[in-house]
Amino acid sequence: MASKVDYTLDERGEVCPIPDVETRRKVKEMKSGETLEVLIDYALSKERIPVSVKAAGGEVLSIEESGPSEWKITIKKL
Amino acid sequence: MSAIIQGLLVGIVFGVVLQRSRLCFNSAIRDVKFSHDNYLMKMALVGILIETIGFQAAAQFGWIKLSPIAFIPAAQIVGGFFFGMGMVLAGGCASGITYRIGEGYVTALVAAVFFGVTAAAVRGGALSFVNKWFGTAITTTNNPGGVYSANNGAVNLTIASWLNINPWIIAIISAVILLAVILFTKTTERKVSGLNWVWGGVAVGVIGIIGYLSQKTYALGITGGWINLLRATTGSLDPTKPVPYNWIGMLVFGIIIGSFIAALLSKEFKLRLPKDPKTFAKVALGGIFMGFGAGVAGGCNIGHILSGLPHLAISSIVATIFFVLGNWFMYWWLFERQRSKRS
Repeated sequence: MASKVDYTLDERGEVCPIPDVETRRKVKEMKSGETLEVLIDYALSKERIPVSVKAAGGEVLSIEESGPSEWKITIKKL
Repeated sequence: MSAIIQGLLVGIVFGVVLQRSRLCFNSAIRDVKFSHDNYLMKMALVGILIETIGFQAAAQFGWIKLSPIAFIPAAQIVGGFFFGMGMVLAGGCASGITYRIGEGYVTALVAAVFFGVTAAAVRGGALSFVNKWFGTAITTTNNPGGVYSANNGAVNLTIASWLNINPWIIAIISAVILLAVILFTKTTERKVSGLNWVWGGVAVGVIGIIGYLSQKTYALGITGGWINLLRATTGSLDPTKPVPYNWIGMLVFGIIIGSFIAALLSKEFKLRLPKDPKTFAKVALGGIFMGFGAGVAGGCNIGHILSGLPHLAISSIVATIFFVLGNWFMYWWLFERQRSKRS
């Protein structure tokens, strides 16, 4: 159960600021306790998404490197 | 050292710093309003603060003549607004799309080519006629301290040349205001893996001063550089009149190389393609808006914001205001408007 997430967003290759906007939008829509994983491939997204997730009422559980310049951010709605 | 080698070297260092600091004016302007995040904005302000004092000092020592961009009100208002809208569509400002080419962003390359071609068309190409719509520059004969470059006695407007007061007074007032904003606002926390906002800002400011000392006629710019790169590379139809590469063209080329090296070394280089092909059309349109805007306004976010605001040039202050308004409008139109309609 712990590794199962409720939603996945694949934002790899998307132009700034789409990854950030879509993540924030998704977190706002989610119900409390639901989880979301976001796949990104840009270092700037990795640095700014945690800031906007916090503002949208979520919490970053982990940021894992999933490949060359690719990361998986796991987020929980508070 | 020849001018083009100097331009190339300054460009490579600038490219490394842009890549490591992730400074993008499109993000900086947007974040302040829509994410209440001032991280990149404060980085830009540190750079502008250092240049405000540095440019003035360099002119005082007689190393350069300050050359503020010509003030053409309608051009900076309309062009500024178009440039501001364009950078949201393109996914980056003029410097942003340039250094992202080095990181492997295919969309950035598309946006940059459309930006460069449109700007070249506006500045002396097939679209030159649009400049007539905006009128001529407002200048002054005041040259306080003799620090400004004059063309037949005409000096472009800065706050100091307009009011005919010692430019140091205006530079120091501006620097104190910037310093107060930098010190007394809370910086948004951001875990960064490259240069933080202070060091990124200091590096950008110092490169701006070195750029001015090296190029002499102006500090950093992107628009003129893309125009020169494209013109010199495609050549003229008359081979006896080749278009030579210049300092600023090599600066832009250097930014791409520097960013590529920095991205490779930090393992952040990757060929990135959007999943939806419509994205290409969107960034191309963004590039056209940016090229038109920067072409008529006399500069982009680097020419007007980073290099122009330290001059306290009236043109750059007006252009910056309209870059910001265009950016906020387009961001709202694309991302906020839909959501408020849906809910």
